[in-house]
Amino acid sequence: MSHAIETTDLHYRAGKSFEIRDLGLRVPAGAIYGFLGPNGSGKTTTIRLLLGLLRPLGGTIAVLGHTMPREQHTVFRRVAYVPERPHLYASLTVRDAMALHAAFHPRWESAIAQDLSRAFELDADARVERLSKGEMGKLLMLLALAQRPDLLMLDEPTDGLDPVVRRDVLMALIDYVSETGATVFISSHLVHELERICDWVGVMDRGRLVAELPMHSFKNGIKRLRVRNAPVQPGDAPFQLLAREVGDGLAGTEVWVVRGWLPTMHQYFEGVGATLHEVVDLDLEEGFVELLRTARAARR
Amino acid sequence: MFAQIFRMQGRASALGVTLAAVAGFMVPIMAVQRAGFVNPSGWDIAEMLTMVESAGSLFPLLAIVLGLLLAVAAWSPDHRGQHVYALTLPIPRWHYVVLRFAAGTVLLIPVIAAVWVGGLVATDAATIPEGLRVYPGTIALRFGLAALVAYAAVFALAAGTKRTAAIIFGTLVGIILVQALLELAAIRVDVLRYTLLPLTDWPGPFEMLFGRWMLINV
Repeated sequence: MSHAIETTDLHYRAGKSFEIRDLGLRVPAGAIYGFLGPNGSGKTTTIRLLLGLLRPLGGTIAVLGHTMPREQHTVFRRVAYVPERPHLYASLTVRDAMALHAAFHPRWESAIAQDLSRAFELDADARVERLSKGEMGKLLMLLALAQRPDLLMLDEPTDGLDPVVRRDVLMALIDYVSETGATVFISSHLVHELERICDWVGVMDRGRLVAELPMHSFKNGIKRLRVRNAPVQPGDAPFQLLAREVGDGLAGTEVWVVRGWLPTMHQYFEGVGATLHEVVDLDLEEGFVELLRTARAARR
Repeated sequence: MFAQIFRMQGRASALGVTLAAVAGFMVPIMAVQRAGFVNPSGWDIAEMLTMVESAGSLFPLLAIVLGLLLAVAAWSPDHRGQHVYALTLPIPRWHYVVLRFAAGTVLLIPVIAAVWVGGLVATDAATIPEGLRVYPGTIALRFGLAALVAYAAVFALAAGTKRTAAIIFGTLVGIILVQALLELAAIRVDVLRYTLLPLTDWPGPFEMLFGRWMLINV
């Protein structure tokens, strides 16, 4: 499988308290890769490192087969970036912002820009500094899509947008991806939003990549089990035990949160003298929380 | 690319360039009138040339203000966005800097032209005694070079980080402090002269801004 983004042992430090260490990302080409993490986990810093806007202390970064940050300007011919904070020149009008962007991006398609401008109901004469948050989000997405990139790097692109605008922006993104097969790297702390659109997910926490796996594995593999007479040590359990706590029902009952669960695995409990009472699907957000809890516990 | 950058930068500095052009047009006219070359009542040539020289000091001042204004207009939109837009454009950084610099340089032209036309108008209306000559073209050219030097210096400073600016300003303040301490200690060493003179005397880059600016001279 080829990778649109690949990092090895990426290391970066900002001040004394924050560090990204040993980051090894593999974003498959053509994937919509959701980059999840709580606020302050290092998502934006990682994106800025990937784009060459920050210099790593160590490790390697390859984006679309190019070494970053050395080949940064070559990469930006094929990469669109929507930053967390709008970066457009405030004094420009929407029309000027589009013209400026078009002048620098060789694959820019004016017809698509016009179509999106109409679909998003953007006023071409409105000044960028006067745009509402929703209009700014739409304009940023318009600029990103009309430059026809092979890779979209979106840093919380829907953060703070109302549900209607969010839907419009994500629909435009999905239409583009289904038409072109482009790769999307989208960061968010809104788990449910990524659940709907992503096929891969990477989870950051405190500067480290906690998990990276296909979305279906992430969604389907994390379960909450109610177990009676649970063993003290899980031993050679065929799944990964993420968390365990005393159950609130029958005495001797524990609640286990596990990853990599398959229906056939109930035999394991019979083998260790335990009884499996209940298997509950966790939604992505619950799975995400459990994942973070486990990762933090393991680091202590 | 250049057209777009020029358009953006032109809009940001339109008011400043217009005001500078009006000032550039007026300074030569004012210099000639003040010196008494228009309808002269007597011919005190030395006095008149002193007046021309005195009014001429407005040219480097205007050049510095213009350079400052254009350099700030060139970089302030990028500073506001922490340079993210520029850094994510598919061109090398040096290329972007050249585009920005070139746009500002082109914006100097209307003001230089205004100084030249102002000089022509002023000297055309003046009665020039024998032995004196007028230099509207030379003044305009020198003004253009001075404005370019001022623009380039502030542009370079503004392109850097706050840390770079702090280092440069800190160095200047340090030199002045050292000089003050030496004077307090009655040590006769002119640090200012040795550190700043290479910049302001030929072939220093700021030499253009100093000396006499004579629209009318022998």
